[in-house]
Amino acid sequence: MCKVSKGLKIWLIFKDLFINRTVMRKIFSVFMCLLPLVAAGQAILDKPLSARLTGYDIDVTLDPEKHIVSGMMTAWWVNNSSMPVGEAMMHMYLNAFSSNKSTFASRGNWSASGKDGWGWVKVSSMSDRKGNDLTGLYGYVSPDDGNEHDKTVLRIALPEPVAPGDTLVLKLDFISKLPSPIRRTGYDEDFHFVAQWFPKFGVYETAGMRQREADGWNCHQFHPNSEFYSNHSVYNVSVTLPSEFVTGSGGMLIEEIDLGDGLKKVVWRAEDIVDFAWTAWPGYEVLDRKWNHVDITLLTSKTGLSKADNHFEAVIYALEYLNERVGPYPWPHLTFVDPPFNGSGAGGMEYTTLFTTMGAGAIPSFMKMAEMVTIHEFGHSYFMGMLASNEFEEPWVDEGINSYWEQRIVDHYYGDGYGLLRLPFLKMSDADQGRISYVTSPNRTIATNDLPSWMYPHGTYSMMSYNKAAVWLHTLEGIIGTETMDNVFREYYRRWAFKHPSGQDFIAVVNDVVKNEHGNRFGEDMNWFFNQVLYGQGECDYRVSGITSNRIRSYSGVVNGDSVTYTRSDRSSDTLYLSRVSLERLGEVILPVEVLIGFDTGEEVLENWDGTGAYKDYEYTGVGQVVWAKIDPYDKIDIDINRMNNSFTLDPSGATTRRMMNKFMFLVQMMISIFTL
Amino acid sequence: MTLFNTLKNGAVKAVSSYKQILLIWVTTLILVLAVGFPLRAFLNMIFDSSMIVEKLNDGFDIGVAGDIGRPFGALMASASAGTFLLSIAGFFLMTFFAGGLFRRFTMAWGRQKVSDFLRASANNFLPYLRIAILMMLIIGVLTFIMIGLPGIITMAITGMQTPSGIVMKILYVLWVLVMPVWLFVADASRRWVAATGSHKTFRALGAGFRALRERFWLSYGTVLAVLLINAAFVAAVFWFASIATPDKGIMVFLFFLATQTLVIIRLFMKAWRYAAVCEAVQ
Repeated sequence: MCKVSKGLKIWLIFKDLFINRTVMRKIFSVFMCLLPLVAAGQAILDKPLSARLTGYDIDVTLDPEKHIVSGMMTAWWVNNSSMPVGEAMMHMYLNAFSSNKSTFASRGNWSASGKDGWGWVKVSSMSDRKGNDLTGLYGYVSPDDGNEHDKTVLRIALPEPVAPGDTLVLKLDFISKLPSPIRRTGYDEDFHFVAQWFPKFGVYETAGMRQREADGWNCHQFHPNSEFYSNHSVYNVSVTLPSEFVTGSGGMLIEEIDLGDGLKKVVWRAEDIVDFAWTAWPGYEVLDRKWNHVDITLLTSKTGLSKADNHFEAVIYALEYLNERVGPYPWPHLTFVDPPFNGSGAGGMEYTTLFTTMGAGAIPSFMKMAEMVTIHEFGHSYFMGMLASNEFEEPWVDEGINSYWEQRIVDHYYGDGYGLLRLPFLKMSDADQGRISYVTSPNRTIATNDLPSWMYPHGTYSMMSYNKAAVWLHTLEGIIGTETMDNVFREYYRRWAFKHPSGQDFIAVVNDVVKNEHGNRFGEDMNWFFNQVLYGQGECDYRVSGITSNRIRSYSGVVNGDSVTYTRSDRSSDTLYLSRVSLERLGEVILPVEVLIGFDTGEEVLENWDGTGAYKDYEYTGVGQVVWAKIDPYDKIDIDINRMNNSFTLDPSGATTRRMMNKFMFLVQMMISIFTL
Repeated sequence: MTLFNTLKNGAVKAVSSYKQILLIWVTTLILVLAVGFPLRAFLNMIFDSSMIVEKLNDGFDIGVAGDIGRPFGALMASASAGTFLLSIAGFFLMTFFAGGLFRRFTMAWGRQKVSDFLRASANNFLPYLRIAILMMLIIGVLTFIMIGLPGIITMAITGMQTPSGIVMKILYVLWVLVMPVWLFVADASRRWVAATGSHKTFRALGAGFRALRERFWLSYGTVLAVLLINAAFVAAVFWFASIATPDKGIMVFLFFLATQTLVIIRLFMKAWRYAAVCEAVQ
């Protein structure tokens, strides 16, 4: 249980006493003017971590029979621009589930399970801090696709513009009906996962922010593939619900009040997070663990208990790794949920200090799929949670970077080369799992990697925004080195934590750090890299096309710096050879690569090819003949789509394929003898 | 006859039938080579002069599958189809040779020419095939009733993705304990066909059940003991085969010899079960 500041307790008592009483509404309105100051008071963190331009004070009741959450909300937004703002934009995410013609449902193949399955959110009244009724001043817009059936963005025409530095306070009564089947949010019987459930401000971006030219709201519709871009906010959330429900949320539990009549009120507070979600289910088992300053809570089902240690271990691995290599996790609390089988639609989601993983019950211990999901979703606490990029417009900054770190963590802790799957005869690393998705995709070149999430064509969203981005981030690490890469992210965190970085901002960090650590070794900047892998559609493929070695009959020239004249000797040990290794660049992407060349004398030579030409020949004169060559011998260039042709040997042994066939034959023979009577 | 004597006499008869067992082994080897050689040639063609095979030295790295690309799909399809066809062919082959082995274990003990062995195999093939199919059906239905159905019910009740819990564990153990009954009936039925020369399948099954009832504990104990030893052997050889990663030519050849030796031993152990059941029934 957390410590709650005195100030906050006074605020909560005040709220309980007065907030719902009509006679106090005017007093309340005046008080709301001071709300940002009150909300800025600290209950969890020592000091605000973000600008806290928005905040939400929500008091609702869950009706578990009708799956409805209803109540009131006071939301505030500070105009930090230099211009008056005459409108506000809010996400109405749950309306994505209100019809099969919404952008989300029509593109995401979601449909309600019966007439009770539809989800929606309705604002029944809205007023500003002066008590002005805003009914009639708001309506739905569809900024992304013009879909008139989509009601996931609410535009409010304000009666008076919000002056620079002033605060817009909205008081809303709203009703949220949860959808079924669950897709990120919703219910199944008495399991409720309540996410993206309340009217929520978009982000008001000022000119220059994320390379934006003019001030304006950034508030996208709810799409099947992305959902996050929000201000870091303060949340005070009270939920009244039946006492038998076990709850958890992204906030810190302030108090749980027994209201009698089988009801209770749960009060949470969260600071500097980008979204607030909560869950309620009578069947939850609650487990706790402590890591440094963080109280970690796992909500799981009875059947998930046996894998709880695996999940805790994975979270702690991720905390350790990201704390050391990116930056500190500042909150003293973290809750994650392993949903029951019927709630699995809520699995694999992230709400900064609350995330959901997947059940590990059916997964054997040699596979780390569930641990991978746990690490991935926790990673979003950093990439999108603290470093609050715009997932709608630049999903690679969110999912791509997070996948890259997930793969590093999984392979670091569960085994380099076999992090995801480890059997004596079969293995796979997490990084390879992502790379396979990219290199085997037939349409990997049809789009650039910088598209908004809903613009990726032909089902390439996941492959591009998760996997291609992770692959070229591994490649970048291979080029600039792991230590420099870690320093890039430390600096990225230092500059951009609790702000809204864009992809360009990340690239600027890369350029600065690489320049600082390596000077001009990689050129003036690293834009040449990003122009190819992020903004380009080309692919990378290097090839060793052949090796030749010819005995020299006579020779005049320089060998090892000495001028020599040579006539063929009868002694074989004195024979000189001219060996040639032929390399080719088959793809459009130009990256510097290392080339390791082996001689029959056992000698090895490491060359560096800048890759600029379409081909390159290396020639060697000496007593040794080249017998093999490998491009990228240490697998640094993950983005090379075909590593089969990266190496060439004059002496393929065939032992490996013989062994594989031996095993195949043995397996079949044994099967025949076992499975016949 | 005691259980020990039954097992001992069965083992002696199985070892004495080494020529027949070696014939079965050679046949299965030729069968799998028919698929194995083309697959190996396919692999060699895919890898050609690439050194990426080094990544497969300590187990198959799935990451390499991405680099193999589309040919990997073709390789997997060929291997899967090959395995399926080999399994079907193997089923017929083992059913066929069982006829010869049971004839050998029921006839007056002495030399059996290869031609006699093959003639007996051919003569008994159809009734043995019917018995094998019927017994596999019975075992399949029983498995569904004992494991499948309770598993489905357990998953529906608990909401788990896999059946588990103490009830399922008990059912697994019961299933294992019931298996020797069916194997004994199958073997005793085939022994009856070999001994009488009758091709009447249901009468053979009746004789199998009758034999079980008459000497239940000896019959059951014999098959259970052989099965347990077989299970331990199979687990050990699979463990060996999975961890062995020879990467030099001579080591790969030795590995081939070792695995084929294990296959031969496994065939001896199967023949041991047949012979032991014949001993128990006599």
